[in-house]
Formats: sequence, C-alpha cells, structure tokens
Amino acid sequence: MKQRPFWYIRRRSVQAEVDEELRLHLEMRVEELRSTGMPVEDARREALKQFGDLEGAREYCRRQDEEKESEMQRSLMFQDLGEDIRIGLRSLMRVPILSLTVIVTVGVGIGATAAIFSAIDAALLRPLPYAHPERLVRIYTDAPPFKWRFSAADYLAFREQQTQFEESATYTDRTVIYSDGVSSDVARARVVSWAFFSVLAVRPAIGRDFAEPDGRPGTPPSVVASHAFWQQRLGGRADAIGRPIKLDGAEHTVIGVLPALSGPLERRQDLFIVQQFTPPRRKGPFLYSVVARLPEGTDRSLAAGELRAVNKRIFPMWKASYQDDRATWGMEDLKGAVVGDVHAIAGLALGSVALVWLIACANASNLLIARVTSRRQELAVRAALGASRGRVVRYLLAESAVLATGAVALGAGVAWAGVQLLQGMGSTYFPRTQEMALDTRVVWLLAGLATCSGLIFGLVPALHGVGGSVDASLRSLGRSSTGNLAVRRLRRALVAAQFAIATPLLIAAGLLLSSLNQMKNVDLGFDQRNVITGSIRLPAAQYQDAGRVRVFWDELARRVTALPGVAGVAFTDGLPPNGASNRNNFDLEDFPTPPGQSQPVAPWVSTTPEYFRVLGLRLLEGRLLDERDALTENLETVVVDRAWARRFFPDGSAVGKRFREGGCTACPWTSVGGVVSEVKYLGLDKPDDGTVYWPMRGTERGLDRFLVVRTHASPSGVLPALQRAVREIDPSVPLSKVATMNDLVAQSLERPQSLSFLVAAFALVALVLSVVGIYGVMGYYVQQHRKDISIRMALGGSSADVLRLVMGDGMRVVIAGIFVGALAALGLTRLMSSLLFGVSAADALTFVTVSAGLAIVALAACFVPARRAVGIQPAAVLRND
Amino acid sequence: MGAPPLFLVQGTLDLLVLRALASGAMHGYGIATKVRERTGGVLSIEDAALYQSLHRLDRQGLVDAEWGPSENNRRARFYTLTAAGRKRLREETANWRRYSRAVEAVLQDA
Repeated sequence: MKQRPFWYIRRRSVQAEVDEELRLHLEMRVEELRSTGMPVEDARREALKQFGDLEGAREYCRRQDEEKESEMQRSLMFQDLGEDIRIGLRSLMRVPILSLTVIVTVGVGIGATAAIFSAIDAALLRPLPYAHPERLVRIYTDAPPFKWRFSAADYLAFREQQTQFEESATYTDRTVIYSDGVSSDVARARVVSWAFFSVLAVRPAIGRDFAEPDGRPGTPPSVVASHAFWQQRLGGRADAIGRPIKLDGAEHTVIGVLPALSGPLERRQDLFIVQQFTPPRRKGPFLYSVVARLPEGTDRSLAAGELRAVNKRIFPMWKASYQDDRATWGMEDLKGAVVGDVHAIAGLALGSVALVWLIACANASNLLIARVTSRRQELAVRAALGASRGRVVRYLLAESAVLATGAVALGAGVAWAGVQLLQGMGSTYFPRTQEMALDTRVVWLLAGLATCSGLIFGLVPALHGVGGSVDASLRSLGRSSTGNLAVRRLRRALVAAQFAIATPLLIAAGLLLSSLNQMKNVDLGFDQRNVITGSIRLPAAQYQDAGRVRVFWDELARRVTALPGVAGVAFTDGLPPNGASNRNNFDLEDFPTPPGQSQPVAPWVSTTPEYFRVLGLRLLEGRLLDERDALTENLETVVVDRAWARRFFPDGSAVGKRFREGGCTACPWTSVGGVVSEVKYLGLDKPDDGTVYWPMRGTERGLDRFLVVRTHASPSGVLPALQRAVREIDPSVPLSKVATMNDLVAQSLERPQSLSFLVAAFALVALVLSVVGIYGVMGYYVQQHRKDISIRMALGGSSADVLRLVMGDGMRVVIAGIFVGALAALGLTRLMSSLLFGVSAADALTFVTVSAGLAIVALAACFVPARRAVGIQPAAVLRND
Repeated sequence: MGAPPLFLVQGTLDLLVLRALASGAMHGYGIATKVRERTGGVLSIEDAALYQSLHRLDRQGLVDAEWGPSENNRRARFYTLTAAGRKRLREETANWRRYSRAVEAVLQDA
C-alpha cells in the first residue's frame, strides 16, 4: 500500500474531473453524429438529448467520488494510527521501568485529582437530590454575623401571613429514647412540621406522608421511620405501618417509611416525629430550622421582601420578650445551607492534588525528553530515510498516547478507590459524600486529564526530538558531545518548574500542620485527663413529675460519687471543647443596648454546683454557684468566666453587675456572683468571648443532661460501673454518647487533622517527584560532561572543584524553582487563611524552614551524581575519545 | 436462507456495465457504444444513467478508474474491472440467468 501523509489532499478537485469526463463524452458523441452529416448545432442538441439529465448525473457522480475519497482518507489514517501505536507499544515494552514510572506517577495524579473532584462535584456542583431543588430555600432570622433559627411564634406568623411561598415546614433535631419492651436505645429524631416531606417532594416508600391533621395539638403523635431504622428496629415488614412504638415512654404511631435513598435533609436520622405547635406565649425559644419551596418562576426579591415585611409586622406583638429590631428575616438557597462554607477546603484539596498531577506530568516529560535525546540519532536516521517531520512527531505522540492510556486506566482505578475511601472517612468533615459517584462529569475530567497529560509529556519531547537539523544529528552519530544546549535548558526548566510547584504545596502543608499543632496546644482551661462524659435523657412520659426527675438526678449523683475511683460528679447542658448547647442574649444594666442594635450574645451553660470543682476551674473573684441558687424562681445569680468579665468590665470587677437575660424587659435583674477561669465551648480555634454559667434546676428543661465524672485513674475503668448505676436506677434510661474529654478534644481535631494530612501527603509526593527530577537531570549532566570533567581533573582540578561544579549547576536550578515557588506561595496561602489557626498565612518561619528543607533534600539528590563525577577516571575517558 | 433478491432495472444496468468491461479497459463513451451495439437498440439506456452507474461501481470498489489517452489522444477516464468487480459480474450473471429462466418457465406454462 502506498504511504501517504495524513494531510494528503487531492491535487485536482473531484468536480473538475467529473466535468472533464462528461465533456469528453459529449464531444465524442457530437463528432459521431457529425460524421453522419448532421450540422453542428443539430448534433449538439441531439447529443444532449441522448445524454438525458446532465445536471443530475454530474451531481450524482460528484457525490459518489467525494464519498469514496473521504472513506479512503479515513481508512488510511486509521491504518497509520494503528501502526504508530503498535510500534509505540513495542518500543515502550523495551523500557519497562521508565514506562511504569510514567504510568504510575501520572496515573495516581489523575486518579487522585478525579477522586477529590468527585467529592467537590457531589457537594458543590450537583443540585440537591430533590425535585426542582433550585426552588428550595432556607429561611432564617438574619442578625449578622449570626443566622438564627425561627421560633414557634415566628413560624406560625410566617405560615399564616406569607403569600409568596408554595409550601414551608420546620425541623428541629433531638434524641429520643426508643424502647421495644426489651431494651432502650437512643434514636436520632427530627421533629418536623407536617408539610416537611411535601416541601422536599419526598414520598414515603410505604405507608403515608404526614397530613395537616397530624400537626394539630391533641392528635395522637405520628412518626415516619427511615428505611434503615425500619429494617433494623421495626422488623422491615409492611405491618410496621400503623403499629404503636414507644418514644420517650409515650406512644407514637408509625404511619410511613421513607425510601432507602435519601437526601441530605433526611440522612442520618432514624425517625421523623410530627411537630405539634401550641400557641406561643413568648417570642422564643428559637429552635426551628425552616425550609420552604418557592413557586415556579417566582421573583425572589418579592419573596425576600415579604419575609422582611412579615417580620416587621409581628415585631410589636412580642416587644415584651424580644427587642432586637435590627434583626430581620432572610432566605438562602437550601443547597448553600446544607453544604455550608467548604469552599476553602475544597479549593485547597483540589488545588494541591492538581499540582501533584502537574508535577507528575513534568516529571514524565523530563524522563521522556531524556529518552528522546538518547534516541535522537535513531530518529534522525528515520528522517533521513524519508519519514517526514510530522510523521516522526506523530510516532512519538502515539507513544505518549499509549502511556496516557495506561495512566488513565490506572487513574480510573485510583479514582474509584479514592471515592470509596472518601465516602467512608470524609463524611464527618465534608458534606454530601454519600452522593459521590464516578458520574459523567468525573469521566469527562478523567478523559480531559489523560489528554492533557499525554500532550504535556508527549508534545514537548516530541517537538524537541525532531528539532534541529537532521544533518547535525547524524554527524554527531557515535561521538560523545557536550549535549544539546536546548535539551539541557528544557530539562532544567522542567525541573525548576517541579520545584516551583512543590514549594507552595509543602508550605501549605507546613502551615496546616503548624496550625494543627497550635490547636493541639490550646489550653482548654482545665485538666482534660481523667474526665469521662455521657448523655442522659429521661423519657418525658414517665418523668412528668418534677419530683421524680429530681429524685433520679440526685440518686444518680449519689451513686456515681460513691463508686470507687470517682473523684467528683457534675451535670451540665454543654461540654467543652465545642459543645455549648445554648447561647443567650442579655442587656447589661451599666451599658444598655441602644434601640436598633443587637444585644450581646454569649454561650449559656447550665451546671450543677460541683461542675467547677469537677473540671477544676479556678474561682478568681466572688463566689461559685451553690444549691440555693438552683431553688430561686427567677434567674438571680450567675457565674461568668474571665473572658466575659474582661469583655464588658475591662477596668473593674464584674462581680455584682446586673443584666436582664433573653430579651426580657420585665424580668428581675440577674447579677454576677463570681468569676472563674475560661473554658473553650465554641471550638479550640475560636476566641474566648466569655461564657455565662447558670444554675441547673431539677425541673422543666432538666430531662436532658450531660454527666461529667472526674476519676482518679483511667476513666474507662469506671465506665462499666457507671452504666450499671444508671441501669439500676431506671433500666429504661440509656446512657449515650459516652466519651472521655480526650476523645472529645480528638474529635474536634479530626477535620483539621485529616485536611493537613491529606495536603501533607500530596506535598510529600510532590517532593519525591521533584527530587527524582533533579537527580535525573544531574545524572545526565554528569554523563554529558564526562569529557569536560576529565579535562579539568587532568589539568589538576581537585575533587572539591568537581563537586562544586556539578552541585552548583544543579542547585542553581533548584534555588530558582524554590524562589519562584515561594513567591507564588505568598499569594496562594492567603486564600487558605480561613483554615489556619495561630499561624499567619505568610508565616516567615514556615516559609524559611520549608524552602531550606527542600533545598537540603535537593542538595542530597545532587550529591549522588556529583560523587559519580568525582569518580571519573580522566585517562580512561580521554583515551576512549 | 434463500437466494438473494433479484435486481431490477438499476441492478441490470450495473450488470451490463460490468459485462461490457469484462473484455478490458474502456472509457464511458466506449461502454455506451458497446452496450448499444450489443442490445441492438432494444434497451434504451440514457448516457446519464450509465455514468451514474460507473461512478457508483467505482465507489463500491467494483471498478477502477484511471486517466489515460483515448484513441484520438484525448485525456479520458478508463475503467477496468477489479477482482471484486469480476466476482460480482459472475454472481449477477448467474442471478440474472436464474431470474430469466424462472420467468420464462412461468410464461411457457401459460
């Protein structure tokens, strides 16, 4: 078969050929007719008549010819391509280590990038898995910087007066005790107003959805179960519908079961209990998240305007219990509310993994340049034998295509494994990981990355391999040369680029690790060792009597205190380091909040008197809470921490100062009884803004408490006795969420820890690849400079001179890369400052340490080839030449 | 499987063109003349249809086309049968014979 280059095009157009053929036919016919004696004009007319549809025939023939032509070209191209790939595959098999290195490094880069991308795709790019998710919004009270939930008063007013929303619902979470007659367990329940599922357009898989009558007070309470809870606890049979179950000791009826596939608003919940609102007597408490669905094609500004208007309208009605007239109502996309602010984390993770991929490509490119260079003569021979320049480029590109295909095959596997890993581990730190999948977008990304990889590590060496004149390459055949200057420049530029990419990655990892370290060293404010905590919730139905509630807690405290190994017991409703259950606003007597401004807010922790001693908080001023404080009808005395005292009374004592809490204007004053040392309640990385401790009372809200136990030795030894004590008092009361204080601290560090480990792992890979790069380039340098080095040594140069020459050459590249990288890092790390704690984004120490460390590692990588240079035998080298 | 369906007019023209080329390379005009002589004018064949047939056969790879000098030294497009074309000619000839025999048999019976 004749070889034709792929850009081969016909020299003559199809059209002209068909015209010529038909013209000839007609002319011959005319001649034939004239030979019978016909006049020219008649002969012409007759010829055309005999021919028939000339235009149609011409058109048809032309089309046939054109199609034949393009079919031929296509098959030629495929033939060439197949041949290129076959040759490429064969030559790559001859260098298995090189091929494997390229495939593995680039493949892992591609796969990891795709896995991280799929997490971002699931969380940020994909719409929520509900019908018309763009019409779903969350509604909240907007009091910057806070977004508060609604109260029953807010929601009922909103529901009654709104006209711009199709449907709305509230939800609020709580744990309930589920008892099946044999054992009791804590279940996660979401208390939802009856329209919750219709707002989301979720239909129960079996049974029915809540309806309006279910939400009326007095109706027997009904429950929709999650699919998992129905399977595991309700027997998984259809007859679970209509069956009564005991929640918190009270009877509820199961009316429906959700489908197995759930959206983020149903996920991780066991049960959905219908909310029954009773007419509120005051504005608070603010417990209810609100979701709403807008009608098709509505104007959002109208809806937002209506929210503000309704809020303004109801404000005067609750003036007695709520004064913040600066706060208004707002709405946001439900997706934004579900996903939260993860953009910085997402960007950092994707950015670092993409940089690793880029480094892997640069590394591959570098390795392949070395290969092309060593094959320059082979390629030159090919060119001399008539292969066109394009043909040689194509042949080299086919080789890269084979490598890129291998890399993407491996990458797909890595991506799949990465998705499994992130789904398992990432769900606590990142939203919507359950929705991760290798969908079409991820597949396109894989394809795109593979193509880019192939081009990056293929095109550069390929163009390079055919550069320069054939003649020069051939002439240098068989002789050692000092290496092509252009090759060296290119390879050095690539290595410098690798270091320029690795530097910001390492700096980012350094900053994250150092802020993690800072967080670990944060003083919690007390000795966190030997403290164990657990949550206890009394079933409301059996503990309606305040006396009975009090007896339970007193008895529990008495029994646990008596256990061997226990140093102290206390109850609280909030736990360090980030478990403040409540925050409250208040109005200071000395500094009243002017009208139109928001009152100050602080974590509001309710405790029993022993709490301070059990945790080991120091009393700095005044007195601690005692038993009598819990008996007063109004909130008369609180204890504040030092941060609170400094925030409001930096110059004097806070003891004896008075305020009114919770926006109540008619309540009696509450006064500060004492000041204690600070404890973190809002997260290790959050500043102390001051905490208020108020006495825990046995009634009303006293069904739900954290138990805090200080032990003499390891707290886990006390746990069995602790559980027994609870069971002995009332077997229907479970002890849940058991954790030592160390566990709680570790849990709060999980998210920053896994992020910094992830970035550190990427940075490490980048470091290794860069070091491999500089090592390879310097090895090549030494090999190419054997003659130079030999001459120097023969002329009396010392080993130290040679070492200095080689290493100096390598380090110039490295330092340039690090310098550029550090400059880039200065700009880039600013973007991640929201993820840092206790360390500045431009932390000089981190920048210097990382740059110096990187330079030292590179120095070691240059040292090995430099040592080889020192070992060169000048006589042998020079004689051979 | 039964015998393939028999071609009618269009297929018939392709068959005649293939047959005309069986004895060697010819240009379009030559083929037209030859077909007309052989049929003795019984079949009236438009030149337009003939050329369409030639280009169709070329695309199908049944004939090869090459430019060469004509009898009076003009540039003409000469067609020759390819191996595939020869094979197709044999098959189509056999098909045509079966077809005409079958039609003949029915007609005689009547």
